[in-house]
Amino acid sequence: MRSTIQSALALTLLAAPLLAGDGRLAIRAGKIITQAGEAIIDGTIVIENGRITAVGAEVEVPWDVEVLDATHLTAFPGFVEAHGNRGMDRPNENIDVAPFLNIRDSIDPVNFYFEDSLRWGVTTINVQQGASCVIGGQGMVVKPFGMTVEEMLVRPASGIKLSASPKSGKSRATQAQALRKAFTELEHYLAGLVQKQKDGDDSARREALYQGRDLDSEEAREGRAQAGSAAWTVADLELIPRGEIDEKQAPLLDLVEGRIPAWFYCGAPMDVRVALEVARKNGFLAQTTLVLASSCWKAADEIAEAGVPVVLSAALMHIERDPVTGEEIETFVPKVFKEKGVRYALASSNQSTQSLWFQAASCVAQGMSRAEALAAVTTVPADILGLGKRVGSLEKGKDGNVLLLSGDPLSVTSFVEYVVLEGSTVYDRSKDVRMRHLLEGETPEGTAPAGSEEPKVHEHEDEVVTEEEPVDAGEDKE
Amino acid sequence: MSRRSTFNRVAPNRVALAALAALSIIAAPAGAEPATRTAPDDGDPAAESSEQYLINAGRVIVRPGEVLENVRILVRGGSIAALGRDVEAPEGIEEISGAVVCAGFIDPWSALGVDAGSLRDQRTEPATRTADAIDVHGQRHLRREALRAGVVAARVQAGGLARVGGVGAVVRLNPDLSAAEALVLPDAVLAMSVGLSRGGGAMDVFDRQGEVDRVRGALDSGLAYRQNEVEYRYDLEEWEKAMAEKEADLEKDFKKAKKDRDKGLAKAEEDDKEFKEKKYKEDKKPRKPSFDSNKAALARAAHGELPLVVQVHRAAELRELLKATAGVDRLRLVLAGATEAESVAETLVERRVSVLVAPSLARSDARDEWAGADLGLAGRLEQAGVEVLLGSGGETPDLTRDLPLLAASAVGHGLEREAAFEALTIGAARSLDVADQLGTVEVGKSADILVLDGAPLLGTTSVQYVFSAGRLVVTPQN
Repeated sequence: MRSTIQSALALTLLAAPLLAGDGRLAIRAGKIITQAGEAIIDGTIVIENGRITAVGAEVEVPWDVEVLDATHLTAFPGFVEAHGNRGMDRPNENIDVAPFLNIRDSIDPVNFYFEDSLRWGVTTINVQQGASCVIGGQGMVVKPFGMTVEEMLVRPASGIKLSASPKSGKSRATQAQALRKAFTELEHYLAGLVQKQKDGDDSARREALYQGRDLDSEEAREGRAQAGSAAWTVADLELIPRGEIDEKQAPLLDLVEGRIPAWFYCGAPMDVRVALEVARKNGFLAQTTLVLASSCWKAADEIAEAGVPVVLSAALMHIERDPVTGEEIETFVPKVFKEKGVRYALASSNQSTQSLWFQAASCVAQGMSRAEALAAVTTVPADILGLGKRVGSLEKGKDGNVLLLSGDPLSVTSFVEYVVLEGSTVYDRSKDVRMRHLLEGETPEGTAPAGSEEPKVHEHEDEVVTEEEPVDAGEDKE
Repeated sequence: MSRRSTFNRVAPNRVALAALAALSIIAAPAGAEPATRTAPDDGDPAAESSEQYLINAGRVIVRPGEVLENVRILVRGGSIAALGRDVEAPEGIEEISGAVVCAGFIDPWSALGVDAGSLRDQRTEPATRTADAIDVHGQRHLRREALRAGVVAARVQAGGLARVGGVGAVVRLNPDLSAAEALVLPDAVLAMSVGLSRGGGAMDVFDRQGEVDRVRGALDSGLAYRQNEVEYRYDLEEWEKAMAEKEADLEKDFKKAKKDRDKGLAKAEEDDKEFKEKKYKEDKKPRKPSFDSNKAALARAAHGELPLVVQVHRAAELRELLKATAGVDRLRLVLAGATEAESVAETLVERRVSVLVAPSLARSDARDEWAGADLGLAGRLEQAGVEVLLGSGGETPDLTRDLPLLAASAVGHGLEREAAFEALTIGAARSLDVADQLGTVEVGKSADILVLDGAPLLGTTSVQYVFSAGRLVVTPQN
């Protein structure tokens, strides 16, 4: 019952086209934190065709552009979520090696996560499959607004998810085995294709025809030698038109050739070695970002040596007990990576918080600089996503994504008042029915008054099943 | 990975095998000393240590039965650089004095330093690599404790209770080493088990017998795989030779063939008949057998390139296993646990099968197959002429520290002290194919050595200094 009400609310909010504009907007803000140089007091941001055309104190606003007066608010580039696996109807897949799957088939545009992302000011999200995989599907970067996946799309192929941590039913040893095996199989598959071709057996072509795969496009007809820096190469791969490569293996070959990014999950420090080894051996280390659990700070030296960026996807404070003294040891994870010179982005998907600003504020609370903390939720994740020229800061030429906050972005008392995505106002807190319901107890129109009982399901009282656990008298016995 | 040579004790006496050995993919013939060893996957092993020490030893136990008195040992670059009465001390070197110097102990059956899930995993396969499950970040204090007791290295094994545990690794226990430095040999043994009660109750006798058959079946599939591989190479070579010869012949006879053809053409025209070309035939190119990592691992064990360690306890299974593996000539079988091995002692001596005994003091969780285990087993087997190894049992990480104590208790129950010492040093090193690095105090070997204040394996002797890969990791002060 509750979920029906929530869905109705979600629809009310999302189907608010009144808010949306035409990609042209001028915002007058009391303060603009650009994340690209000094903050601007009493400045203006002009957005045309969804892109920022001007930012500054003295900016001329074209006469026909609508002006959003936010002189009492602070403008800030939207937060960037470097990696997350929320917003899907199912974040995981049973198949161990499934690089042919694409997140776009699983993203649920009306998922509450996206609506909440607006409330938290997250404007760019890299949605990837969950970590329960060996090699997972391909992710995509979206903005949290739109009725269809196409409308939400920012970048279609944001990379393949891999995990060095065991998925259910596997141990670390068998997980690593499965990871290595996937690439060994790819190598043998490709070598087999080349051999078949040389032997005059073109059954791969007939298989592609039978499966209805594209064989006519230039890309598909092209035969290319194996590119990239993998420790193995299949000779004469140029004999094989790329379209004839099976859809399970093709994305892996893209990975090996360094054509798509990899997001490698490590749930424990020991996983880092396997992840880096697999990435290095198969030529995609340079495209790899590690997605790390808290304890992985212990492998910071290896990570620094490999030169890969990381996403800190769990609690930022790692706490463990010394096995000898019983003493609690606290380690603030971002600090370790900063000291080792590892590029890191903060992520919001963990138990302690749902928001990126809180993660950044925690860094400041632990003595890190404000600039460092803010970069870890804006420009750094943008760079890691290859979107450094589009999002992460308020500069001319970038996407017109602007948050208007009631105060400082790292203050607990600040609210996101407006979210502007590519020049369109997609969120206005004064019209956020759900927020008002939750915070101010305001009952949305058409809902039952608070405190009213739900309709009874059972006609006869004695049929009602009691939900109380029966007390088991024998529970304590050995 | 470079191929390693074997330590075969059984000479290949079958003609077929001799023929196989002639081909390059088979390891060096039996009897050859080990020449090349596999280095860990990435980077050089621990030989890079910059520390150097001079040890003034009252007595050096070079190997069991070979003792030198008043000797100086120079440890440099990770290994034993010099050993003798008149080794000169480089200026400024740190000098250490001690009564007795001997090789560090090796636990050939340990659970220390491996991911717990991988230890328990029962879905491991022959190609599962324990090296992937080594956790250099965990159990640091337990490893340090083991070092303090003089245990410097261990064979660790994923899937300890699985029917097939996969490939076990030999690692140094020094917690300050990286994975690459710690790995002595990533592919030391292949492990299997027969007749263990896994989770549920004990299996019935037929199931246990079935597991013996499976071991033989697995070895046979390995043998067949290797045979296929060898035959393919042989056939391919033959085919290529035949084709080259044929081509040479054809070229040579081409003029004649052309003449014949011209004649034929003329004649056909004369007779007003259609000209028929000669039909060309040649042998088909042999097909490459498909790659299978599991069978490849089994093949290595079946051919003695890896020792096969089988945990088996009951007399019936021991007997049947020995019978079932009798025909696999190059197999290097090690029986682990082997509670009732006395009943097959004669066969063990004859077949030169060694037994890895876990002289446990008490097993509160003793499973069925261990029933009847006592501390005297090692001594009785040794008296019967069986080569005995001693290990901590591969289930409890803490027990690796207690290995010297367990060995001493085996001595108390009838095992010759020298045999116990051999089992913990060169005996284990030889069985695990790491004798080129560990097990004795000789120039050129890795400096994994102990400085004691008395004879080894005595309750009153304390371990004063421990070197791991040339680094001083234990001193009386730490």
